[in-house]
Amino acid sequence: MAIAAQKYHPVKVSYAHPTLIGIVASAVLTALVIVGSRNLEHFDSALFGYTIASVVAFGAIAFRYAIWLQRPATRTYFRRGLQLFFQRKKFAANAGNAATTAATNLVAQRFIFKRGTMRWLMHFLIMWGCIIAAAITFPLVFGWVHFELEGDLGYRAYLFGFPLSVMQGRDVFAWIVFHGLDFSAVMVIAGCAIAIHRRLKDRGAIALQSFLLDFTPHLLLIAISVSGLMLTASSLWFAGYMYSFVALVHQATVIMTLFFLPFGKLFHIVQRPASIGVELYQKRSQEMPQAVCPRCRTEFAGQMWIDDLKKVVGDLGFDYRMENGNTLQDYCPRCKRIVRGLSYANLPQAQEKVFVGGRADEK
Amino acid sequence: MFIDPQRCIGCRSCVAACRECSTHKGYSMIFVDHIDRAETTATMPTLCMHCTEPTCALVCPADAIKMNEDGVVMSALKPRCLDCRNCVNACPFGVPKYNTAMHLQMKCDMCYDRTSEGLKPMCASVCPTGAISFGKYEQIVPLRRTKPVNAHVFGNQHVETKVYLMLPTDADEVRVDGCGVFEGKVLVDAQATATEESWIDTQVEESDKSNEF
Repeated sequence: MAIAAQKYHPVKVSYAHPTLIGIVASAVLTALVIVGSRNLEHFDSALFGYTIASVVAFGAIAFRYAIWLQRPATRTYFRRGLQLFFQRKKFAANAGNAATTAATNLVAQRFIFKRGTMRWLMHFLIMWGCIIAAAITFPLVFGWVHFELEGDLGYRAYLFGFPLSVMQGRDVFAWIVFHGLDFSAVMVIAGCAIAIHRRLKDRGAIALQSFLLDFTPHLLLIAISVSGLMLTASSLWFAGYMYSFVALVHQATVIMTLFFLPFGKLFHIVQRPASIGVELYQKRSQEMPQAVCPRCRTEFAGQMWIDDLKKVVGDLGFDYRMENGNTLQDYCPRCKRIVRGLSYANLPQAQEKVFVGGRADEK
Repeated sequence: MFIDPQRCIGCRSCVAACRECSTHKGYSMIFVDHIDRAETTATMPTLCMHCTEPTCALVCPADAIKMNEDGVVMSALKPRCLDCRNCVNACPFGVPKYNTAMHLQMKCDMCYDRTSEGLKPMCASVCPTGAISFGKYEQIVPLRRTKPVNAHVFGNQHVETKVYLMLPTDADEVRVDGCGVFEGKVLVDAQATATEESWIDTQVEESDKSNEF
């Protein structure tokens, strides 16, 4: 029997739509910078380089995200996830689930703890170090937050030009706030040191890693953190010695890192929150009718999931439809292995079967 | 890599040795399944066939599964894997394993820590019968009477792989359809395992029943 063997053909990627999304994202951020800094009144022109890099990087991340969503599987999860999330009757439960998943996966990162304690500590230090640093620097760079002197030692913070509470410049809280970037730098350096130590010692990591993808992000983060600490050291203890040079180096490393965000390892920062949608999808899928393997009759996955998967596989150009009307993805993984074994066993060896006594003989 | 199921005696040395691989320490990525336990002792060793166009990688929503320059399809990148398990259910060979608590998929990466240094993968280095062999095509093939084939046909889909299956016949591909493997008495096989094969179920095959590691 002749079967037309179908070859896989890749899905074409469109760049027009993502480019537009990228440009719009950059334009929106630019508008927010102008509005948030009250027509650039509170914008610090010394930070112009950082702002331009942030605007370009934001557009690039949006572009990359839009390209990523074009993958058939990603598109399916994205659409189905939104559809499930906004089901009217389940909305409250979905919001609760999403909050729980965000707390366990994104905040506590329990899944990384299961992968390894040191890995968790490493990731915890780097992630929270970067989040604290980003939360302090971006609003300052964009002019969304600025401080004004009030009285002799009081600082009043302004958010988008609106006054907040006054902070005494000499108390402990102010000291912690003003040194927030120093604390975050120490956290990032410690986390990156653990990561690099593992990458230099672990045989599995050594085999799989590449310098550009696995070392560069850590080295960039260390460069940012060390140069940032040098700025503090220069102003506190060395009377501003080489301050402008270090500031330039710091700016260069930050800009390089921002431009590195859409590529490689760092893209997981924007990609990872999708796990909230995936977990919701699987939870709802478990509540729906389950797919039963036609061969062993066991339930192995949600029917909605398998149906979506078959569509994705089809969109990718694969055709796993069988003679009996089923698709290979209808079968559980174990049965797939066994039917391949049985097919092998049914191959003729000269005049006899490879394995005598296979049940398929009796057919 | 060359797999000859005729030579497999079901000793599961490969399963044990696989756990020693540094890229997935402590977890075995090989399956040794009885193909029809009530009728034959024959077993089928399954490890990743490293497809030239890997379905697992293409159905991954996170683009986490990469093929390296040697054509080896790697485990999911740890920062990216979302534990969606699309790869587990899409793979035509039933190979990828997952762990929900770790949010992670892992699979055979041909012991890349070893093969990248010129060593044999763990499974091939311990297999006592040569059912799993690793070497150059020119070295292995002249030693065997079986025919190396790296193509499967699943329904309408032709799948080419980096790993070869040694066939006892002159076929150019293995057709996993149309030879009664999906139908007939085998339908009740797994249903009956609970009673017929309880001893082997509990002692040996538990890990093969689920793709969770």
